[in-house]
Amino acid sequence: MTTRSPAPGQSATGTAPATGQSADGTDPAPLALPDAFTAHARTRPDAPALLWHERTLSYGELAHLAEAERRRLAALDLAPGEPVGVLAVKSPEAIALVLACLTERRPFLLPSPQLAPALLAALFAQAGARRVLAPLGQDAPALPAPAQAAPVPTLAAGTSFMLTTSGSTDLPKIVPLGQSAVDRFTAWAHDTFDLGPGRVVASYAPLNFDLALLDVWATLAAGGTCLLIDPAHALNARHLLTQLTRHRPHVMQAVPLAWALLTQSAGAGALDSVEHAAFTGDAIDARTLAALPALLPNAALYNIYGCTETNDSFLHRLDRLDAAALPVPIGTPLPGVRTLLAAADGTLVHGPGSGELYVSTPFQAAGYLDRSRDTGRFTTQPEGAGHGRRWFRTGDLVTRDERGLLHLTGRSDFQVKVRGVAVNTAEVERVLLTHPEVREAAVAAAPDPLTGKRLHAAVQRAPGSALNTLTLREHLARNLPRAAVPEKLAIHDEPLAKTPTGKVDRKAVLPTP
Amino acid sequence: MSNITRIKRFLIDEFLPDVTPEQLADDHDLLSDGVIDSLGVLKLIAWVEDHFALPVDDTDLDPNNFRSVAAIDAFITERRAQAGATVGG
Repeated sequence: MTTRSPAPGQSATGTAPATGQSADGTDPAPLALPDAFTAHARTRPDAPALLWHERTLSYGELAHLAEAERRRLAALDLAPGEPVGVLAVKSPEAIALVLACLTERRPFLLPSPQLAPALLAALFAQAGARRVLAPLGQDAPALPAPAQAAPVPTLAAGTSFMLTTSGSTDLPKIVPLGQSAVDRFTAWAHDTFDLGPGRVVASYAPLNFDLALLDVWATLAAGGTCLLIDPAHALNARHLLTQLTRHRPHVMQAVPLAWALLTQSAGAGALDSVEHAAFTGDAIDARTLAALPALLPNAALYNIYGCTETNDSFLHRLDRLDAAALPVPIGTPLPGVRTLLAAADGTLVHGPGSGELYVSTPFQAAGYLDRSRDTGRFTTQPEGAGHGRRWFRTGDLVTRDERGLLHLTGRSDFQVKVRGVAVNTAEVERVLLTHPEVREAAVAAAPDPLTGKRLHAAVQRAPGSALNTLTLREHLARNLPRAAVPEKLAIHDEPLAKTPTGKVDRKAVLPTP
Repeated sequence: MSNITRIKRFLIDEFLPDVTPEQLADDHDLLSDGVIDSLGVLKLIAWVEDHFALPVDDTDLDPNNFRSVAAIDAFITERRAQAGATVGG
């Protein structure tokens, strides 16, 4: 199956991609996810839906579990359109509970179960979820009562999933997704990667992570089999490898961390079943990228770019022979996705150039649940962007090359000043990751009375590497202006601390106050 | 202990705790890659003054005098020769 890519250089005023879809990618309307799932359960009840440790659940068995949850949900005293909270660790039971919510057209907030109880309570209160459900057979969570009763928000009709941003800032933002936006996304995913009957799709990410929309939900909508990797064992390379070699997925999307684990622990050709391999969510390191073609001898390799707010927006298919070139472009927009580049002064950048990336996708949220947090993020601006279209300001700084490919260069919110020089900490991380002996890198800025900001960096070096701060500093000085070379540089043999979604925790780099 | 060895030991103790003297080349540019920043230069000058009993005046504060182990060594040697000449003359 080939990848659909719109013409390079697509812009707001560009023509619709040649896919037969309308300009906003809205038709033909795909079957709603719960209806598609039910149809598979009815017509092919014995087909495998989920693989979980040693267990296989058929579509019929999963539908049976979901029906029990649906009855429980229907028996609750809920107002029409009132959301529920779902607090569930990834499991077939958790998937059955979500399917029940979808079937009942009941909006649901699905946060990371690893968040602190007080934070979870605050999020459920903000969503107006009076009832928090754990899957049948899992312990109901005990959450503290929130300090103050939040006003019940008004949800848009058709809201289904409510996901949270990964919370690199304080309280995660709640992102309500309309069922039709989810359905447009699952249709794209199936169209691009073939997730239908007979196909096995590996799901590495936790269930609350937006990646599950492709791995789990698009697969169940398309009738394929989802290999669920247990988050409790996700960092166990041996377990991961055993699951993947036993169940032989055709499609796998994962954060670079997972691919790094696999390239370090598996021999060449180990994952020869994979036809589509995607990395997403974070910058990939040079060594892992270089090792992917050998690990995945039969796979097309992709870099996927997306945000929780907009879902996937860009896809870049890598040339296998050129896989070692960093940084990997984020590529070209998905069908129906519109992009804008805005320069620092707010003017639009046409053609090759650099600016902050705005996207508008057929899969996106209309705004955050707390609309007061939309300011500066969801916008009808900038000027000249066309009327009526809602844009999401990604905060990512990108460069568009002559071919129309976009390249990530940093985060606008990672822009700091060191000795009066503008430095992008993400760019420093990128340079650290290009060193062949660096596995992971994190850079953060701490306030400094003298220099404005002081940069702290931490890296994990490869096993057996004798990399020291001197050689790493030389590498940085060759590739960065002097002010961007971090003052504090720590080299570790252990992996760096991670956030609950598996990204490197930059805050952990800073000294504890 | 030669000057070079003493300079390296100081630099490593102060700025490069994970590096061995063998890994620190005499001509390694300490300023361009941020091993020593402007505060570090002041620290280094204080150490040179104290350790080699050499007054460093404002005209010597050219950072190039402190750019590498070899440059620091050359600076110390030159200043000593000047000091010796002054005393002798």
